[in-house]
Amino acid sequence: MAKLADALEEEIAAIFSGDTPWVTIVWDDPVNLQSYVTYVFMELFGYSKAKATELMMQVHTEGKAIVSTGSREEMEHDVARLHEYGLWATLQRGDQI
Amino acid sequence: MAATEGFKRHGADSYVATFAETEKEVLLNLVEQLIELLAERVDHGDEDPLAAMVGITSHDSPPEDEVLHRLLPNAYADDVDAAEFRRYTESTLRGKKQAHAMSIRMMLKASPEGDVELDHKCANDWLGGLNDVRLALGVRLKIENNNYEHLELLSPDDPLRGVYAVYSWLGWLQETLLEALMDEITE
Repeated sequence: MAKLADALEEEIAAIFSGDTPWVTIVWDDPVNLQSYVTYVFMELFGYSKAKATELMMQVHTEGKAIVSTGSREEMEHDVARLHEYGLWATLQRGDQI
Repeated sequence: MAATEGFKRHGADSYVATFAETEKEVLLNLVEQLIELLAERVDHGDEDPLAAMVGITSHDSPPEDEVLHRLLPNAYADDVDAAEFRRYTESTLRGKKQAHAMSIRMMLKASPEGDVELDHKCANDWLGGLNDVRLALGVRLKIENNNYEHLELLSPDDPLRGVYAVYSWLGWLQETLLEALMDEITE
């Protein structure tokens, strides 16, 4: 019982402080080349080749991957940039995945 | 003129390719169609001119055309959030995608011999533009779940066979540019 209350309190605090993290998700797309997806992650997020490759493989094998986290505004910016380069991306609240 | 060998790195921040006349024509034709497709929708007569100036549009529903829908996808799973985001960003996104395609067009137009030299920024324009063309063709070719069987079995006189050949060629071209770019990045 106490545990639930703690979780609820935390959630309410997060709502009022506005710091609930949001996430950007990239979805698998059969057209985009693997090397292209890796390159876009490196260019847009400054990820290393190793990290970008790992995320690309996660998109490819699991159908989606979280590629960045932050405020809603930041994630809207990331999604817009991913759309500019043709990746299939959406954003959502991090606690609703 | 021989068929292109794709992009190659040529010193620091320089990526070069030479296209045969027919290849250049195909590329120009594709990017020009893309530029046209991305032109603003004129399906609303009640556009607020001031809002339009700052890129806010009155259309908030996704494009009906399947290809446009893939190029300008929803940013949210939730329809209300998606509509709101689209109202403020779709116009900018169209502009950015057009700019990529226009960069390709301009460089090809400026090269009577079919040779192009890209710096890093231009290379990104080309990658984005080529990718948008591939996305568009991919929708028409119904490329889903990495299944190409229905395309490999097309009869020689099926017009889609030609589209598939172009689609494959663009993928190869994009790959050569990516290899040239990644060549510099050791880690």
